[in-house]
Amino acid sequence: MNKIILATVSALALGAVAAQAQDYPTKEIQGIIQWGAGGSTDTVMRAVTPHAEEVLGGTVVMQNVTGGVGAIALNNVESADADGYTLLMGAENPLLYKVMGLGDKDYGDFIPVDLLARGTAILVANNDAPFDDYAGMMQYIKDNPGELKLGATGPGGLPSVITAMMDTVEGKLDVISVPYDGDGPALTALQGGAIDVMPAVLGASIEGIRAGTMKPLAIFDTEASDKLPDVPTIVSENEAYGAYLPWGPFFGVFVKEGTPDDVVAKLSDAFKQGAENADFVKLMDERGFTMMNISGDEAEEFLTNWQQNTAWLLQDAGLTSASPEEFGIEKPAE
Amino acid sequence: METVLAFLTVFTQPQLFLLVGVGTFAGVYVGAIPGLSVTMAVSILISFTFSWDVYPAIALMIGIYMGGVYGGSRTAILLNIPGAPSAIATAMDGYPMAQKGEAGTAIGVTTVMSFIGGFIGIIVLALAAPFVSDFALSFQPRDYMLLAVLGILLVGSLSTGSLVKGIFAGAFGLAIGAVGRDPLTFAERFTFDFRLLEGGISFIAVMIGMFGVSEALMQLQHADKTAVKQKISRIVPSWGTVRRHLPLSLQTSSIGVIIGALPGTGGDIAALMAYDHAKRVTKNPEVPFGQGAIEGLVAPETANNAAVGGAFIPMMTLGIPGDAVTAIMIGALFIHGLNPGPMLMVDQPHMFWFIVGALCVANCFMLLFGLTGIKLFTRIVEMPRAVLIPLIMLLSIVGAYAVNNAITDVYWMLAFGVFGYFMRHYGYPLGPVILGVILSRLLDDNWRRAIISDREDLGRFFGGILHSPLSLVLFVAVILIFVSQTPVWAKAKAMLRKESA
Repeated sequence: MNKIILATVSALALGAVAAQAQDYPTKEIQGIIQWGAGGSTDTVMRAVTPHAEEVLGGTVVMQNVTGGVGAIALNNVESADADGYTLLMGAENPLLYKVMGLGDKDYGDFIPVDLLARGTAILVANNDAPFDDYAGMMQYIKDNPGELKLGATGPGGLPSVITAMMDTVEGKLDVISVPYDGDGPALTALQGGAIDVMPAVLGASIEGIRAGTMKPLAIFDTEASDKLPDVPTIVSENEAYGAYLPWGPFFGVFVKEGTPDDVVAKLSDAFKQGAENADFVKLMDERGFTMMNISGDEAEEFLTNWQQNTAWLLQDAGLTSASPEEFGIEKPAE
Repeated sequence: METVLAFLTVFTQPQLFLLVGVGTFAGVYVGAIPGLSVTMAVSILISFTFSWDVYPAIALMIGIYMGGVYGGSRTAILLNIPGAPSAIATAMDGYPMAQKGEAGTAIGVTTVMSFIGGFIGIIVLALAAPFVSDFALSFQPRDYMLLAVLGILLVGSLSTGSLVKGIFAGAFGLAIGAVGRDPLTFAERFTFDFRLLEGGISFIAVMIGMFGVSEALMQLQHADKTAVKQKISRIVPSWGTVRRHLPLSLQTSSIGVIIGALPGTGGDIAALMAYDHAKRVTKNPEVPFGQGAIEGLVAPETANNAAVGGAFIPMMTLGIPGDAVTAIMIGALFIHGLNPGPMLMVDQPHMFWFIVGALCVANCFMLLFGLTGIKLFTRIVEMPRAVLIPLIMLLSIVGAYAVNNAITDVYWMLAFGVFGYFMRHYGYPLGPVILGVILSRLLDDNWRRAIISDREDLGRFFGGILHSPLSLVLFVAVILIFVSQTPVWAKAKAMLRKESA
């Protein structure tokens, strides 16, 4: 016992950081998931982490901290020590907190450990909707102004970004935007006819489309998905969308800014190898997610671009509560 | 034949059978501790069972789910602290029974009734799943809103004593439920610029504080009183008792299945609605409601266990979760390489029948574990208060912390405990507060969705109600229940009687 205390004290005296980097992890790592149990972020994180644990040789205890569009979880991790023992497992939303007035922190205060995958957006409609494709929907909106019910998930969510794109490209659409707390409940409402059209992530709607409980209108990508090869891309409907695509939500693991470099490197390596696991790759592919598995500068660059493009898109559509300029988010080069 | 084999999988493979048993046993105890929820247990199991095959993993989760829903009633009866939101109504009559020394009887009835409710839920799942899920899907935002209004009207049933105080308590609950960032627009409500309030107030913390801590404080006043001696001669209710309550349990089970199958409502609302229903249809209870009526145990306990089968209905037929636990199970199926969705029943029919089988086994284990060990449990109430009161406090603090691993939840819990103590002192009922918190979002979100969908036009909104048979039925029910609680109704009834006489 005395020896342990002695060792601990001397380790502290010699500088905990140096000792920690070699031995990391010496204790349980906490993984804070930004979204609720059973949602896509939750499932992706719970699917990849056990593989990463094997490489890391440590345990990651995952916990869902929900609320405030994920801001509660983000602040939680931000207020913990930058020692690599608290991971933030999140999605794209924090990059829009500042412009949406939801908080004063974003991924700029964090280091990306690994950006795992990105999703593709798709426009799906209720089976009874009086149109079968994108052009038909646009015609319907024109003929019946203020009648089409479009699902939404609040400011900064995927539907709001897609709606902003449509407003920018096609001119302001006269539709009713019905808010839901997540794409799961919204897609349920779509099947029950409470809403007509929903911009959703492919992964959440793919099973419904396969089973014919909802119909796809267009994929928001430049290329057709090999999961649903028959669904036309939005670019084939209107080329102007090309300027904003590819765009999609993403999942990533982050640590607080200031975490020692070698700890970050060790974590990045673990999650990179974990995400290469065949089971995980297959799982992501089946749900229509595109693997990214990037870290370091590449990930930082991706985050910067994503934030610039999306923040300015929302700004131009008049959906932000503060201009991106105020936070030093540069306008993307044309 | 394949169906039968799939159904029997869990019976024929000892390993799966045992896992369901272990899960149910753990569930009963996890469920009994307030704050340790089934949702939490199942999501921990996802990581734990990651490398397992899908059948054993699901078997364990189903056991925990079934046992946990039942387990919440234990602490509700013995200590007046519902182990889970779905056991709130159980405390209303269960605790008074324990106070009279009838805890054993109460637990016995609860167990048998949970078993009956559980089976009805499973039967509906097995035989009518596609039909029920179509019905559940047809609920529009305005129907959910009407359902919530119907729920709000339960305030009358849950208020013992003054109705005005009950209404105040219910409104207070609605306001607590609205605190935090609004989930639809993310606007801050009742947060007064405190970051602490942004995430809202944990509803479990409110519940534990209001029931647990305030109970402990109440008991401090009678610290010297000796504990009630519990009669434990008769635990398993007689066939006569079961048969007498069979019609009621069938009705409340159907409430449970439907409410459970609706995505967005679960066992907690089902149990409260069933309690209200029991109070309405039971003309002459042997003991008045609120003072230990058996019917007050039968209704919520059948309903919340029937809601388990109900919650699986949209999950299995459409890949849509019926509640938080089935949402996690959908995630688990996904991680195990299945594609939960409308095609699951077509591609993997044996998965459906395996789940039905596992639910049956879990339900039987629940009966077994529920009826054994009661003697030991009732000792808890017989403990000297000097031990019991600190135990309640400890349970409450651990429970509140466990919800989100956040110390702020413990502070909330304690604050609401003290507040609840004063509410009790001044005769304000606590049930309606919890009812308000539970229904707050259901009412608020769906009202806004409904009115936004109708372009914020009230005329269109009421037109919509008239055009949909479902909305119309719910609307009429709301009106009838409302009117039946006013003096006008009593007068009209008296006049009618006079005329016919």
